[in-house]
Amino acid sequence: MKQRHLGARLYLIVLLLVLYLPIFYLIYFSFSSGQNMNHFQHFTWEHYQTLFNDSRLLAIMLQTLLLALLSGLIATTVGTFGAIAIEAARSKREKSSLLALNNVLMVSPDVIIGASFLIFFTALGLSLNFGSVLLSHVAFSIPIVVLMVLPRIKEMDATLIDAAKDLGASSYQVFSQVLIPAIMPGILAGFFMALTYSLDDFAVTFFVTGNGFTTLSVEIYSRARQGIDLEVNALSAIIFLVVLIGVLIYYFLSVRSSRTKHNRRIGVKL
Amino acid sequence: MEIIKLQNITKRYDDGFVALNDINLTIESGKFYSLLGPSGSGKTTILRIIAGFTQASSGRIYFKGKDMTEVDAAKRPINTVFQNYALFPHLNVFENVAFGLKIKKKPAKEIAPAVNEALHLVRLDGYAQREIAELSGGQQQRVAIARAIVNQPEVLLLDESLSALDKRLRKEMQFELRAIQKKLGITFIFVTHDQEEALSMSDEIFVLNDGEIQQNGSPVDIYDEPVNDFVARFIGDSNILPGRMIRDFEVEFANRHFKCADAGMRPNEKVEVVIRPEDLDVVAPDQGKLVVRAQTQLFLGDHFEIKAIDSDEHEWLVHSTNSVHLNQPLGLFFDPEDIHVMRLNESQEEFDARLEQYEDDDDEKQ
Repeated sequence: MKQRHLGARLYLIVLLLVLYLPIFYLIYFSFSSGQNMNHFQHFTWEHYQTLFNDSRLLAIMLQTLLLALLSGLIATTVGTFGAIAIEAARSKREKSSLLALNNVLMVSPDVIIGASFLIFFTALGLSLNFGSVLLSHVAFSIPIVVLMVLPRIKEMDATLIDAAKDLGASSYQVFSQVLIPAIMPGILAGFFMALTYSLDDFAVTFFVTGNGFTTLSVEIYSRARQGIDLEVNALSAIIFLVVLIGVLIYYFLSVRSSRTKHNRRIGVKL
Repeated sequence: MEIIKLQNITKRYDDGFVALNDINLTIESGKFYSLLGPSGSGKTTILRIIAGFTQASSGRIYFKGKDMTEVDAAKRPINTVFQNYALFPHLNVFENVAFGLKIKKKPAKEIAPAVNEALHLVRLDGYAQREIAELSGGQQQRVAIARAIVNQPEVLLLDESLSALDKRLRKEMQFELRAIQKKLGITFIFVTHDQEEALSMSDEIFVLNDGEIQQNGSPVDIYDEPVNDFVARFIGDSNILPGRMIRDFEVEFANRHFKCADAGMRPNEKVEVVIRPEDLDVVAPDQGKLVVRAQTQLFLGDHFEIKAIDSDEHEWLVHSTNSVHLNQPLGLFFDPEDIHVMRLNESQEEFDARLEQYEDDDDEKQ
């Protein structure tokens, strides 16, 4: 293989360094026995111990995960049906205006969405708690799911539907046994995107959360205002590790499945 | 026995385009039919109306005498093999073939043997657990056929089902389709734009153009006696010349009078004359009925295709097993039966009636 140009390699190295250095810096100090990140003192697990004793923070982490899963599931369901409805729109104009309405929500800043939800909930007299956060997370995740599912529906061979009907399938059977499996990769991608968006979100949650409920990002933000606590570093290190392991597992699974497919195609017995 | 009947079927789209104009056709059980026509002729629309995917704007469809116009596609005793096969990518070969039976809630111990038998019929034994993406085009084609026939339909519709295959495989599948049809004894309706395919496989062909049936009949009838110049041009190569019917069994074209086998027209009526290129024999100039000069010749493996012009600048297409000298006078010889005379704007009913009339005359004379 041809050697890559030196400049290109250097560029990649610098780029990755810039991207990963802050995270590694954070993780590095999670092992420091000091109370701040001014200079590393000596190695300790102390911050991890405080973290595992901090039941409030752990509870918030679980709540955040629950919120992400729940809002992801609801948004995926609603968004999938939405995408099917958009694709089924009769006129081209109807389709593009529906899609434009969807995209407006995608590009509008979180602050505006958060503020408008806050105004909306208070005008309706709803209390700000888990429910209000869930509703707003579902709302900003739906457009993402729609955008992930729509191309799959477009790509799908429409004669598959005819074929299923031809073989005697009712409308529901066509939907559940042909349409949904065919667009499944899009639905899964939409679900994971919704999940990360929900885990990520700070701005919207900050507006619509009340006393009783908070997410990790909001909690860390409020703690950071009182000065950086190295317990947060420890938490970040753990989350980073979990994500890294998850990505690695996904990578190996996808490499293996594509290799199996390839081997079967060229007739290698495994 | 009549199995499907289309009565006055018209399909008009919202934008006013008429895809089918007053189609009447009858399909008998156990035969192999072809709907043959260029793209946009309405052949696939007829198929979709029979299958139930498309509703006709007006007209009725009967299945064994029962009105089926409003019956849902899922409830018709008809299955389709689609142009692009439309196999379910998320299911393997077995699951694809079993799809229809599972929908019908057949018990699993009935499904497995039925699926294996269908796969055996299309010569795909041992492929049951393969993924669709691992199969070649020809194999996918066979799975699509197996998936349709496993439901034991009374009519099988095939929409341009061989057009995606390469030439050799297509020939092979033509033989196989014909063999499958013979073995199962069910009706096949095959849509194609390939005249050779239609001629080689069908018991009966419907030739379509511009949403109308131009002619129907056996492959031999359609080839030897096209009713109009669309059919003559679309089915095989042909030389079509303007001519004049002098009297019964005598026609004038290329400024000469020839004996022919057609009759029943007015004296001096303007007609068109069709002579197939393979019916023209190249002979010495003094023995030919016509003298032409070859302009170009192409070697096509089993014959030479020669383009020649006569003294009136008419172009003649000739198929010859031997090569000829270019720009030398050549004689062309043909028998009276090789000449086919077409009246202008004659419909198939009129053509059939005329044919019957003068063939009766022949009988009386004898």
